[in-house]
Amino acid sequence: MENAKPKIGWLCAFAPEEIAMAAGLFPMRLSGGGESAAVADAYIYSNLCPYVKSILALGLNGETKHLDGLVFVRSCDGMHRLYDVWRSYVGTRFAYMLEVPKNQDEAAVEYFAGQLRKFARALEQEFGKEITLESLNKAIKTTNQMRTQMQHIYQLQRKLPLPLSGSEVFQLGLEGLSMDKKSFIAKLKKYYSDARSLAKQRGKESKARVLVSGNVIDRPDLFNIIEAAGADVAAADLCTALRYFGHLVDEDSGDPYLALAHGYLSKLRCARMTGLNERLTEIRELVDAYAVDGVVYTSVKFCDQHLADAPYFVEKLKDEGVAVLFLENDYTWGTRGQLTTRVEAFVEMLDSRRR
Amino acid sequence: MLKSFYEGMKKSAEEECQKRPRAWLMYVIQMTSTLLKAFEDDAKVVWTTYYSFPMELLAAFDVVPFDFEIGCNLLPGVDPKGCVDIMTKAEDRGYSIDLCSFHRLALGSYFLGYFPKADLLLTTSHFCDGKTKANQIFAQYYGKEAMMLDVPNELSKESVAYVSNQLQGIAHKLEEVSGHKLDFDRLQECVRASNRARIAYGRLGELWKTKPFPWDGSRLCNLSIIGNMFSGTPFQEQLYLKIIEECQQRMAEGKVAPEEFRVLWLAWFPAQRTNINEIFRKNKVSIVMSELARVYWDELDEANPFEGMALRCLKNPYVGSIEQRLNGVLQLVDEYDVNGAIHFSTTACRHANASVRVINDALISRGIPFLDLDGDMSDMRGYSAERTRSFLETFIEVMAARK
Repeated sequence: MENAKPKIGWLCAFAPEEIAMAAGLFPMRLSGGGESAAVADAYIYSNLCPYVKSILALGLNGETKHLDGLVFVRSCDGMHRLYDVWRSYVGTRFAYMLEVPKNQDEAAVEYFAGQLRKFARALEQEFGKEITLESLNKAIKTTNQMRTQMQHIYQLQRKLPLPLSGSEVFQLGLEGLSMDKKSFIAKLKKYYSDARSLAKQRGKESKARVLVSGNVIDRPDLFNIIEAAGADVAAADLCTALRYFGHLVDEDSGDPYLALAHGYLSKLRCARMTGLNERLTEIRELVDAYAVDGVVYTSVKFCDQHLADAPYFVEKLKDEGVAVLFLENDYTWGTRGQLTTRVEAFVEMLDSRRR
Repeated sequence: MLKSFYEGMKKSAEEECQKRPRAWLMYVIQMTSTLLKAFEDDAKVVWTTYYSFPMELLAAFDVVPFDFEIGCNLLPGVDPKGCVDIMTKAEDRGYSIDLCSFHRLALGSYFLGYFPKADLLLTTSHFCDGKTKANQIFAQYYGKEAMMLDVPNELSKESVAYVSNQLQGIAHKLEEVSGHKLDFDRLQECVRASNRARIAYGRLGELWKTKPFPWDGSRLCNLSIIGNMFSGTPFQEQLYLKIIEECQQRMAEGKVAPEEFRVLWLAWFPAQRTNINEIFRKNKVSIVMSELARVYWDELDEANPFEGMALRCLKNPYVGSIEQRLNGVLQLVDEYDVNGAIHFSTTACRHANASVRVINDALISRGIPFLDLDGDMSDMRGYSAERTRSFLETFIEVMAARK
């Protein structure tokens, strides 16, 4: 049933799937899967975020033909320009650039609500289905159910010792980004109901706990490396984890667009937003909430926003006694050997601190 | 160190100006005087972005505008090796070499204590991600507030209101920083000065269409960015009028350099010392226009200055989809009758470089030779003189073949 609907791709966790769902579409995240994207270099500047390039490569390779549309967000300079290049060299039936403010005050929320209404009108015009107050509120409820269900699982991860494998939870979330919501909710419920037995299988061994913070990760390599080194990943402050699943939108509001604008702009900050210290505070709160022993802060190469934040965050967190490891990655996690050595040393340090 | 550098620049420009008063020297004196004011104890220093922030608003408050990108990127033209040492200070603190050299140089300058104080740090979202981020980092280091003028990517009644309201909020903050209320008449006066300068700048642009080109292309590129620090002040118009006068005089006296090829410059011109001018001189190539020197905005509405300033931000060629930028480029190609266009792609400038292929294809389809010249604005480690020579000479051959 869901599969019969027109499919619309999205790229950034600021894209409100609820509106696409209300327009009768099947929203799914477009992921480069952590694969390299050499073909894109002929069309887009090479010193650019590898995630952006991987998306372009999918388009150039004809791997996005299943999509009826694609929603871009002006999340960064790279995404802004991907929209230009996409329309010039790939093309989709529908390509839309959604404007998301970088500020989070009331004026920004109002403005964003207006942009969401505009987006809704564009979808109605293109796909011919009216978005009603009822259909939008219904989509908000469904998406909230999905997020709430995932948050239940995240909540379990606050326990000591970590009840569920961090890599497994992350992988589960990744799969959900491209699944239809109802099937995913069912899958999450099943996983949650199995949690007790899964926890039993994992045993009671107490390991060092890590928060992974950064931008976009589309494969579980880093999680696997951390786990293989003898630590647990308790939480992931990523576009593909907490920053997607961590917020809810007011249900049954008289103005669902305003509710969506508020919900999305008040979620966990990504580096594109203003408020450097506020973001640092959010990371500190995650450190406390998930009782982690250390933070692995990671960024894909050429991400000006995350790369610029890194030294400041590392310095501040270290000053406060939080162990931090900064890892730059190429999105494909290709330099695995080097990363493994650094992660192993970090975990060893965390273990020695815990003794 | 920066202070003594500006003092030296100012002194030598003043001495030269005594002997031979020239527009460029007046410009250097005014620029360095403004930068030096930022070091005065009682100055109210507002960090900003000369090219994209509406400077009229700052002029209305008589605060000292300081652009950290410009402030330290005057150095690479004089001491490229010293600049590498400064950038290394930032890199040693963990700032990635993949970040723009402008920002690494600025961060290094901060760590070395070269910068003046900051009372407020303003920037805009439509310049680049790196600048907005560096602005926030500096605000933390200085313990001062950072405000970002969030300029959306679309032009509509709503976006004009959104930007205009933010500017009014920034004006309130400037009232706190400067210690006096906004004088609306004064703001209108600054807007009028800006509008007069816009007309003079347009006249200058008309003059640059003359064959052969009567001025200096690299100075044109420099002025298109740094000249904006004077927006809202009477000096900006005076400067443009003086340049017009000098160009006309040079033309009347037949002292204009011979010209074989006319080039449109896209994106930024290197701040560091390069061999580009030397190659151009040898081959009689003139940079006759820069995409950043285009008068892309309408006259600011004096009755509604906040809306006027908001509109100009929203019409910036780097806002919106590539068409907004491309249309401006194509307009200049036609108006300036160029033989080719060169895009200087400084290594980390994602917002200028990322969709350069679209510009390349549009120009090539019109039969205009195009060169995407890689290099680095300020970091000599990312600039190869020989590679640049080879690319430029080949490009000149292509232009010659098309003539």
